[in-house]
Amino acid sequence: MSPPTDDSLMNRFDEHGLRRFRARDAVIAVTLASLLLVLFEGAAVRRAGEQMDPGVGRGVVLAVGKPAGAIADALPLASAAHSVTGWLSPDGKLDARDSFTAASAVTGGDAGVPPVTADAFDPARIGAPPAPKRRLHTLLVTGDSMSTPLDSEVSRLLVGGTVRVIGEPHLGTGISKSFLVDWGQLSAQQVKRDHPNAVVVFIGANEGFPMKGPGGREVKCCGADWAAVYANRVRRMVDTYRQRGAARIYWIGIPAPRSAARQKISRVVNEAAEVATQPWRGQVRVIDTGAIFTPHGYRDAMKVGGVESIVRQPDGIHLNQKGAALLAATLLQQIRQDFVY
Amino acid sequence: MLFPTVQFAIFFPIVLALSWALMSRPRLWKPFIVVASYVFYAAASWRFCLLLAGVTLGNQAAARLIDRAADERRRSVILGVAVALDLGVLAAFKYYGFFVQSLAHGLDDVGLGLPLPLLAIALPVGISFFTFQAISYVVDVKRRVVPPSGLVDVAVYLSFFPHLVAGPIVRAKEFLPQLAAPRDPSRVAVGSGIALIGLGLVKKVVIADFLARTVVDPVFAVPDAYSAPDVWLAAYAYTAQIFCDFSGYTDMAIGLALLMGYVFPQNFRSPYRATGFRDFWRRWHMTLSRFLRDFLYIPLGGNRGGRAKTYRNLLITMVLGGLWHGAAWPFVLWGAFHGVGLVAEHALGGRLRTPGWLRWLVTFHLIVLGWILFRSQSIDLAGSFLSRLTVPGDATLWSVPVVLAIVVVIGLQLLPEKPLERLQVRIERIRPAVLGAGFAVLVLFVGATVSSQGVAPFIYFRF
Repeated sequence: MSPPTDDSLMNRFDEHGLRRFRARDAVIAVTLASLLLVLFEGAAVRRAGEQMDPGVGRGVVLAVGKPAGAIADALPLASAAHSVTGWLSPDGKLDARDSFTAASAVTGGDAGVPPVTADAFDPARIGAPPAPKRRLHTLLVTGDSMSTPLDSEVSRLLVGGTVRVIGEPHLGTGISKSFLVDWGQLSAQQVKRDHPNAVVVFIGANEGFPMKGPGGREVKCCGADWAAVYANRVRRMVDTYRQRGAARIYWIGIPAPRSAARQKISRVVNEAAEVATQPWRGQVRVIDTGAIFTPHGYRDAMKVGGVESIVRQPDGIHLNQKGAALLAATLLQQIRQDFVY
Repeated sequence: MLFPTVQFAIFFPIVLALSWALMSRPRLWKPFIVVASYVFYAAASWRFCLLLAGVTLGNQAAARLIDRAADERRRSVILGVAVALDLGVLAAFKYYGFFVQSLAHGLDDVGLGLPLPLLAIALPVGISFFTFQAISYVVDVKRRVVPPSGLVDVAVYLSFFPHLVAGPIVRAKEFLPQLAAPRDPSRVAVGSGIALIGLGLVKKVVIADFLARTVVDPVFAVPDAYSAPDVWLAAYAYTAQIFCDFSGYTDMAIGLALLMGYVFPQNFRSPYRATGFRDFWRRWHMTLSRFLRDFLYIPLGGNRGGRAKTYRNLLITMVLGGLWHGAAWPFVLWGAFHGVGLVAEHALGGRLRTPGWLRWLVTFHLIVLGWILFRSQSIDLAGSFLSRLTVPGDATLWSVPVVLAIVVVIGLQLLPEKPLERLQVRIERIRPAVLGAGFAVLVLFVGATVSSQGVAPFIYFRF
């Protein structure tokens, strides 16, 4: 067998005596680094495990993460590390009072029968004159990975005008995954920071996680109890985004995914969004993407402009560029009914 | 499984310790490393493991048949079948949608719309890399550069997790000889390994993701919303981002392999100090350019058939090299652009006498121009981006950290190489325990820079 003689520089680590140490030293260095990271960031290992989808991988990470987290919790090292490195974080601080786990958020409100207000009626549905159109200044497009590339497509359609489009996808997050990002806090921060007068929310690819229900008990997906907790969280977000009626919300339902297990979750998520937005149907439009993309069940391709085109990503969950462009055009038709720009 | 994840941080120390514990017994070490690599790959999808196993078995069978065939013609036929099958796998998973959709649109344009079966087929991670390595194996066996190895050796070669999903493309002749004997446990480049992993993390998580988030993604998504200062900034920022993203992955892969006692070929050598297209391809993704040279350009005839045929071969090689990066027209255009650049350089043949700094400046900006084509999601968007390069307006995205990141990434490549080599030697002298502690501190700082939007996938995972 001929030795490597070409220009691949295979001998570059033999020069200057770079191979100085023993294999044992490599194992010691890596083990020491791992131990230090457990002491400082053990809780992050546990959190990473909790965020993973159920399966062997999650079990393994939690098997390491739970004891690592317990060790880290017992030591003051994590907070010391955060105080040293916190300035590097690109994220703004979230307000704990806006959290889904704040006491009032778990049940969704006070006891008693809430009054029905005029906001619950879409004028178009009752034959009333529509509200006068307002000027659109700032449009926030947010959500999980579903919201991209929709954000780019919406920006593209609005380019050249006066509308400021803010795309803010938070990949891998979910309304039921508040241990990763708490959308109650995040929505409050987005509103405080940007004051959008229209908000597009496209979220639901990572749902199905257990949530704390009334009385602090854990509610598992996907029965009516889970749907109710989920709907309360959506309602809280919608109430934040609508800014007491100053903004319109376009809540985009999830098109049926390919996997049967995910279909079950997306059906509940879509229904919960419908129920959650009932008090403000005059201010919130729920867009049924199932009618556009999956009217008779999941499909990869459909006619777009008369040409058969693939509209989904190979993962069978997300929309591809073509699908996102189609959804953006539909969305802007809805926005034009409420705004001028 | 991505390198900068908690899963990998649990996986690697265990595999490293067991790997060295078993190293002296190859009969145990080899199956162990195959299983570990398949576990690593199955984290993406266990179904992909079946494909990897199929490619391994198919190419090993072909290599054995080639070895047994005495007749040169028969050896060529078997090789042809094996390469066709490898490329068929690549075509089915990577290019099916692209070709069928392009065909459907073409037929529609001339009024011959046909109900072609359009399917969104999942792209197995790393397929472009392991199919190319499989091709390298059968070709090297056919050329008698390496003898056919045992099935387990081939399985280790194709699945070895540090290079499995995004390279570098390690040739059979570079890796299989390293499997012939256990690695020497008394000669491990611990310092270089840890330094490379740390450097890769910083490049990817701190620099590449920061530039992508703040400048590149918004501008390339809607170039029409920005004017010249921001569009130029995005072009330079992407030039820095793609280098940090891909070379960051490569650094980590090489570093991980080094800690396990294995050496991978170099993949980057200060590419932005190139003073011509040929020079650039000797510095950028070096393992791909060597593969294309040895397995495509030279078999096509290389520069042996006169000027016209040389130019044709250069163009074919670069267009196919562009298509290797992704099933989309902007990649084809990018490949063609580099092909034309190489042809032009060849045609001039050094007759144009210009100062070195001017050659560098022109080359660098042509490379930047190429990256605009590469990054754009469609040719229309590339056109929009290019048209905005001359539109005056405000600089809304310029900030000190962004400019600093770009200047550091590109500027460091222009520095002489000697001081960096000296730094590497100094790092290698540091005690392993100190290196481990230093690495942990680095990870804490790098982790703090990750936004709630998460770590973006490596660009080359898609290829």
